[in-house]
Amino acid sequence: MQEKLKILADSAKYDASCSSSGSKRINKNGIGNASYSGICHSFSSDGRCISLLKILMTNCCIFDCKYCINRKSNNVKRAIFTPQEICELTINFYKRNYIEGLFLSSGIINSPDWTAEKLLETILLLRNKYKFNGYIHVKAIPGANRNLIKKIGSLVDRMSANIELPTNESLKLLAPNKNEKDINNIMQTIKNNKCKDFVPAGQSTQMIIGAAKETDFQIMKKSFYLYKNYNLKRVFYSAYVPVNNDKLLPNIITPPLLRENRLYQADWLLRFYKFSLNDLFDNYENFNVLLDPKTDWAIRHLDRFPLEVNNASFDELIKIPGIGLNSAKKILSSRKVWSLTFDDLKKMGISLKKAKYFITCNNKYYSEKYTINQSLIYANLINNEFRDKKALHVQLSLFDEIKQ
Amino acid sequence: MKSSNNIFLYDGTFVNLLCLIEYLIDERIKPIDICNENTYEYNLIDNIINLNLKNKIKLHEYINKNYKNIYKTIYYVFLSNNEKKEIIIFYFIVNFLKYKNNIYNYRYLNCVNKALNLSLRVSRETHKFKGFTRFKLINGKILFAVICPDNNILPLLSNHFSKRLKNDFWLIYDEKRQSYCLYNKKHCYFGNATINFNKFEDTNIMWENLWKTFFKNIAIKERKNLKCQMNFLPKKYWKNIIEMEDL
Ligand code: SF4
Repeated sequence: MQEKLKILADSAKYDASCSSSGSKRINKNGIGNASYSGICHSFSSDGRCISLLKILMTNCCIFDCKYCINRKSNNVKRAIFTPQEICELTINFYKRNYIEGLFLSSGIINSPDWTAEKLLETILLLRNKYKFNGYIHVKAIPGANRNLIKKIGSLVDRMSANIELPTNESLKLLAPNKNEKDINNIMQTIKNNKCKDFVPAGQSTQMIIGAAKETDFQIMKKSFYLYKNYNLKRVFYSAYVPVNNDKLLPNIITPPLLRENRLYQADWLLRFYKFSLNDLFDNYENFNVLLDPKTDWAIRHLDRFPLEVNNASFDELIKIPGIGLNSAKKILSSRKVWSLTFDDLKKMGISLKKAKYFITCNNKYYSEKYTINQSLIYANLINNEFRDKKALHVQLSLFDEIKQ
Repeated sequence: MKSSNNIFLYDGTFVNLLCLIEYLIDERIKPIDICNENTYEYNLIDNIINLNLKNKIKLHEYINKNYKNIYKTIYYVFLSNNEKKEIIIFYFIVNFLKYKNNIYNYRYLNCVNKALNLSLRVSRETHKFKGFTRFKLINGKILFAVICPDNNILPLLSNHFSKRLKNDFWLIYDEKRQSYCLYNKKHCYFGNATINFNKFEDTNIMWENLWKTFFKNIAIKERKNLKCQMNFLPKKYWKNIIEMEDL
């Protein structure tokens, strides 16, 4: 068991999703329930949240995706869990409160249908015999029969089909056995059936960043399309970790973490901050890695600033760098009874590090020297960002949990 | 309201604190401080008043019935580890009676801002411990966990586990406050005791080892970022989290 777990956790780790939010499943006389806001149970040494027991049923695979450690042509140790073993692990970890639930994925063994059937068998056992009501996220197997997908969907909280690469061309090149149509079909099936008892926490997907040549714009355009057409809950971005040698793959040593971080930030702006694709890029193809996309946008549009905190609208407030949704709400409610000063903002726990360049309080700047000057602000903010190394490479998984 | 140089004592319970506050408001007294009689250190300078009120329950009922969210805010502040929490609650309530639900707009008042921040802190710590609490299965029967949170979150945490693990016996022990919550598949029982927990071991150590194996192997070494890990999982919590113990 130790050896199996080692192999099957190790080969599952590249999936970025860890979220356990969005479901309200209750404990029907068994063990476990879901927490709507999601719960992080631990943090691994790479700083990522551990919420679910993230494992593969097997790392055997008949496919040969170039970027994947489990591809057919790799000579790695292979293992397979029995449904029983997966249930025992889940229940015993859950009881001790190590985990919030199970995230079960798998390589494709024998055939897509065969694999999906094995997954279904496992989930049925876990829900019915072990009476497990905690969170379950299952990976949908591309190419599997639609009825199998439907059956699995009626038992789990979240399902995901990984799009992996933003364009069909790269998919053909790097994942020759997969095709966009299969993945779209799954997303459509999940979307059509979604209800209280079918994938209540919605579906998510993942794109690998930096394995093919796509620009940030192409990636975000794809995300935008996915959110709009399939009501996805989340698109995850996973910086490509060089695990294989292949002339089709980029020759890099470290994963592009900063780029991944920028994409997450932009994704947030798209979903919650009313930014459009156009706002984010203004005809550029890639994000400025030196600054977060919101600040970068604000500097490109200095003509819209400064904003007076005491009368800017909510939609304006949330576009100010450093001001999040919660801060905007606090400002809105407090200014009903009081005219806000910079000290009040600080007291409310609103960080002025970035915001101070873009706002006035009662028509006063934070400091005289901050009158709008593009290059000065730019220099100061970049300086900030790099002094404050913590801001870099922050994993957004946790914010996801708090946000919802 | 008239200021008073007296320190008023209450018996350490939430209900009794609200009794006292109701009395003070009725009598229009602004106390210099309100303290828990169990932890208050007597000295020669302070003027102490211990009224031992029991029957002032109107305020408690009024808030609990009509203002659930306010009640929750106050209760969370009460569970915080802030030394001035009683007097913060007092002024918060005085203002609440004036502004009702609009009180949330009055962050520029110190007592309101402090109360809201404290309540948020308690709620955040509770949320963290829903994840960070680790149980051991003792004698194959009872799940046992030790926690050491900054705030007194045990009442909130046990509410969570009584739903999640409702068909198991469990015991959570707060080593800082030497208090526990025992769940018998029906109800939670709270009490104080000193438990020497070092001798407890999991009936089946295999699961702990498997968990540690998982924990190690789920990390991507090319992304190693200990600072980020420490940020989310502060060192002060490590000693009761088994996968962090031997690090
Ligand atoms: S299908 Fe592709 S990505 Fe999935 S396990 Fe097989 S080789 Fe890896």
